[in-house]
Amino acid sequence: MDISELCYLTIGEAAAGLRRKQFSAVEIADACLDRIEANDSKLHSFITLTADLALEQARQAEKELRSGIDRGLLHGIPIALKDLYATKGIRTTCHSAVLEHWIPDHDATTVTKLREAGTILLGKLGMHEFAFGGPSIDAPFPAVRNPWNTAHIPGGSSSGSGAALAAGFCFGALGSDTGGSIRTPSSHCGIVGIKPTYGRCSRAGVIPLSWSLDHTGPMARSVADCAIMLQVLAGYDANDNASANVAVPNFQSSMKDGIKGMRIGVPRKNWFDENLGIDPQTEAVFNQAVKVLESLGAIIVDIDGKPFSLARKANQTILTCEAYSYHEKTYQETPLKFGSSVRRRMLEGAFLSAADYLTAQRARAVLNEQIRANFTNVDVFAVPGAARPPEPFDAMDPNEQNMRPSFTNPFNLTGLPAISVPSGFTEGNLPAGLQIVAPAFEETICFRVAYAYEQSTEWHTKRPVIS
Amino acid sequence: MVEDLSLNQLRELAQRAALNLPDDELAKLLPGVNRARRQAGELRLLVSSQAEPAGHFSADKGH
Repeated sequence: MDISELCYLTIGEAAAGLRRKQFSAVEIADACLDRIEANDSKLHSFITLTADLALEQARQAEKELRSGIDRGLLHGIPIALKDLYATKGIRTTCHSAVLEHWIPDHDATTVTKLREAGTILLGKLGMHEFAFGGPSIDAPFPAVRNPWNTAHIPGGSSSGSGAALAAGFCFGALGSDTGGSIRTPSSHCGIVGIKPTYGRCSRAGVIPLSWSLDHTGPMARSVADCAIMLQVLAGYDANDNASANVAVPNFQSSMKDGIKGMRIGVPRKNWFDENLGIDPQTEAVFNQAVKVLESLGAIIVDIDGKPFSLARKANQTILTCEAYSYHEKTYQETPLKFGSSVRRRMLEGAFLSAADYLTAQRARAVLNEQIRANFTNVDVFAVPGAARPPEPFDAMDPNEQNMRPSFTNPFNLTGLPAISVPSGFTEGNLPAGLQIVAPAFEETICFRVAYAYEQSTEWHTKRPVIS
Repeated sequence: MVEDLSLNQLRELAQRAALNLPDDELAKLLPGVNRARRQAGELRLLVSSQAEPAGHFSADKGH
């Protein structure tokens, strides 16, 4: 097996290969590090590479597996972390000059869980500065580029996570999602990412963007791999005020049950044509994906998109107010330490009132009721992963995203679980994603629908040529 | 209907918020601030007097 084949195995395949002794944990880690060294100068997906630690952890994993100590499917699997997860003794920058030299004295809860599962940490990944704004052109680290075409953005804010997975640098990664930051780069990079239900995965030790909207979650190259990762990550954490004390199911239990007879709601009306509307090529890819779901036996149901459309306004209002509150002191003392993109977006929160914030939280309650009421009629919602293909860096218009529908914001506002799975390509071989949204704490349904779609298409098997 | 802020009004609000921002920075901020304020204003049409905020303090949990 050559390096490229090894690096593009799924977590399930790699786990099986490790136990069959087809290759060792050290060989997998070496393969990833070699691939990163050969290609990441074109993508800038890593801010900090932890090669020595990775090899040490790989040797330990190999020793344990050989002696019969098996920590589960992630044992010996190389992963990487968005650089807002605190890592003890390892620089954690949030891609910002503000935290350029910060070395935490603790691990985020999710980082601890991954370490205890025997994963191998390759390093910390680039992102949008403090998970907000756009690609950072004036941050201390270069902006991450899309492996499918390096002239294009990879989507954000978990841009390094999306790019590193698509490039075959790691087998799994952690992202975070406050308005779409797991699902947008998953869609733009042709990989799978799930934003679990709010409260399902701990936020403890993750630098906040917006406390009431922040979600943590896994990104990988297959639906099953995301389920494997979520199985390790999910669970109550007393150190996170928003953590939900609910049972964690087996996320793969019904994954292969198919979707015959399942009712899938498409909230097209009053949403997809908002302002500039969805990009026509992106809509064509989405329509084709819906046809695939129908061919698998699902029943497609039109539902009203109006509350989904309004959800973005409440999400953005809450997000900017909470984000500014967290960073207020730094803005007052050293505003120009922030890059221009995040600075301009986040400072909007300084000029909204307490009444604006509370009205948005009241609207959140109203919109949640309206959106969730659809689940009396349908089992899941299907929407595009993004409203348009990834833009080229040289034609980025920061205002345009407000002129198109946000297909991700509503599920931060409602806290509902949402997965993005590769669903095809637009012109120029740029990936697009299909998003499946389920009722709260029903991630198993997200996995079931996404898996059925994934297994009936070949989009998840396509690989970029990095140039 | 929320009225747009002028650059002078934004400068005054920035000073009140202890934000020391140069004029060129304030000018770049102004369109986004006005968009954010209009957007927040539109949400008022959605909520009835009975609608409470989505988050509540819980005495048993202390948060």
